Amino acid sequence: MDLYGFALENKEILKLVYALIIVLVCVVIVFKTNKLFRLSSHNGIRYFRNAFFFYGIGFVVRYVLGSKMIFPIFPFSVIGVLFEFFFVMAGFFLIYSLMWKKFESPETDYTSSLFNSKIFIFYVLVLLIVVLDSLWSTNTFMFFSQIIVFAFNSFISYSNHKKRKGKPFLRFYFLAMLLAFFAWVLNAVAEIYFNWNQAIIINIYILNLVFFLLFLFGVSKIIKPS
Amino acid sequence: MSKKRERLEVIRDILKVIRQSRSIKPTRLLFASNLSPQMFKDYINELIAKGFIKLELGENDKKTFLLTKKGNDFLEQYRMIEDFVENFGL
Repeated sequence: MDLYGFALENKEILKLVYALIIVLVCVVIVFKTNKLFRLSSHNGIRYFRNAFFFYGIGFVVRYVLGSKMIFPIFPFSVIGVLFEFFFVMAGFFLIYSLMWKKFESPETDYTSSLFNSKIFIFYVLVLLIVVLDSLWSTNTFMFFSQIIVFAFNSFISYSNHKKRKGKPFLRFYFLAMLLAFFAWVLNAVAEIYFNWNQAIIINIYILNLVFFLLFLFGVSKIIKPS
Repeated sequence: MSKKRERLEVIRDILKVIRQSRSIKPTRLLFASNLSPQMFKDYINELIAKGFIKLELGENDKKTFLLTKKGNDFLEQYRMIEDFVENFGL
């Protein structure tokens, strides 16, 4: 049996392993960045941490709660709504971590980074996207919102990389943003033109895995245990 | 004209001054920090609330600022925080 055949045969287990690896990566990133945030109260670190917190929950919802092996009775429509909410919100937090200085003063000290006037706008947008996708029974609105988010992220991270040549991870950050952009484009293409072709899905999983591992590499390289 | 200091840089500078002098009077720290009195008050309140510095009353009720262990830890890890913020474009 070839690798592709093996992957298809053990699809459910592999999906679970894939999700658990990503959830573990998110947990490490959230704990490490939370430590840095508690020390510095830096809002950029706070929003970055929130992005991976939401990604982690999103993957738990989609691949653990949504796994027919573990929870066969969980209604998929509920899973779909929840995972869209967490994924889209995570994307918004990631772009906001790069842009927050344009909208907030560095001295701004919100009591909560999950519930404040700026983040409220994201919740409204996310609800709109989730409702539209639910009405049309599709994921297209989520895919297009994330394609736009990661196109912007790629542009911002490229410009950061060009501005600060001496910072090695900015190059990997740009690469991670490009990978995520392509993953979301492939998602949209797989849904609209290829009826969720399995070969395309496997490629999306690989791109996602590399995206999260790149961030884990960057975070672990810089945040050393004290 | 020199660039406006970032919030983290201001905190680092204040803590560094306190560490160098071991204990320092509020007026001397205000001059050394190069901030307006209002900004200085805000930063000092934040640093006390976060447990980075403490205010001590000496002889004749003279006030002095001291660096705490947490404040010292911040200075030790400042380079790491700065590196993270710059490497991730935050």
